Amino acid sequence: MNQELASGFTIAANASIAVALAISALLFVIGLVGFLCRRNMIIMFLCTELMFQGAALAMIAFARLRMDVSGQVFVIFILTVAAAEAALALGLVVLLYRKRETLSADAWSELGES
Amino acid sequence: MVPTIFYAACAIAAAGLALLLMQSVRKFRMGASVLGLAGIAWILVIVVRSIPTPTSELGPLGAMILCAFISVASAVRVITHHRPVFCALYFVLVVVSGAAIYVLLSAEFVAFSLVIVYAGAILITYLFVLMLAQQSPADIGSADAIDYDRIAREPAGAVIAGFVLIAVLGGSIFSVGESKAESTIDQSLAVRQGWRDLSMMPKLLLEQARRTDPAVTAVVARADGQMIAVQSDHSAIVSVVRVNQTSPTDLTLAPSLLPDNTSRVGMALVTRFPVSLELAGIILLMAMLGAVVLARRQTDIADDDRRALAGMGKVLEDSPQRGNR
Repeated sequence: MNQELASGFTIAANASIAVALAISALLFVIGLVGFLCRRNMIIMFLCTELMFQGAALAMIAFARLRMDVSGQVFVIFILTVAAAEAALALGLVVLLYRKRETLSADAWSELGES
Repeated sequence: MVPTIFYAACAIAAAGLALLLMQSVRKFRMGASVLGLAGIAWILVIVVRSIPTPTSELGPLGAMILCAFISVASAVRVITHHRPVFCALYFVLVVVSGAAIYVLLSAEFVAFSLVIVYAGAILITYLFVLMLAQQSPADIGSADAIDYDRIAREPAGAVIAGFVLIAVLGGSIFSVGESKAESTIDQSLAVRQGWRDLSMMPKLLLEQARRTDPAVTAVVARADGQMIAVQSDHSAIVSVVRVNQTSPTDLTLAPSLLPDNTSRVGMALVTRFPVSLELAGIILLMAMLGAVVLARRQTDIADDDRRALAGMGKVLEDSPQRGNR
């Protein structure tokens, strides 16, 4: 079954798709744990990027399983959203840093006019 | 796959991660890393053994498992490292090994755009902001790192939440996979999808037909209305009009003429998801405008006094509370 087509794709076993799904779940969970644990705002946003990675990997794995490219197209949109999110979130972080001179999220545990 | 064993492996990995996050037990760091890696290895072994693999496919699977280890281990380093710059660099490692996994899953275009966009653009932005906003340890007076980078917030609770999530996710994914019990991908499905995509690209179809036979002038629809008839040996038959011929004749296209990943993704983007493509462009434009608004110079309240001294009008005509900072 591992026949190689000249257009450049090999048909690998389903086990690699299972491994990819396992990695995607692990990456998502590690990102979640990091988001809950870390107190540096920049690293918290980095952990959301880790969760994006997990979701994108699941999309690619299912696109491979179904042999349909729409999963890959979705990953391109995920990349777009991640880029937009990084630009906005980092702009916000710089703004917050200017106000409190610290990156700690605990400095913002009390919201309100300040 | 036995769920109990899977949950046990998840619990071991979670315990290792919790120990790594709790900085009070720093002397156990090596032991915690070994525990975490063993848990992850056990999870991967359970996943791989749940599906039978032919010997010929062990090569790609081994490469995939290697990338999996690099990816997960550096993801753990992202959330445990004390210095934020190193966290960002370990995230680059996650992205690069993720791109390798994408290539193994035959998504080449997305793999390269992942490296370019993530490792090339997004991570550089993160590094810029880190360099801009990070206080050096010398300023604080602590030798190692800043408190909020060193001490995790509620590591036990976070790891328990993560453990529950991975148990639910793993259980749902792999019980469904077990009920289907297909050990290999239907290859003819891949070939059919490839030819179907090619039939939607008339120019490329004509090009491929010309590559087979240079005398072809046009590709016409077959008698059943389809452009392409797929054979059982993965080749395809199209109806073509050749030079000096009026009636169409059959031409066999070899499987090597199937469209590659990039042209298939591009075709899907512009034919099946054109509205989403435009929306993605609008999102990027709005993000750019938002970033400009956020990053523009914030007016100081004292600015008005200074401007009044210089004989200029106020920055904002309404209440001074509008001025930030």
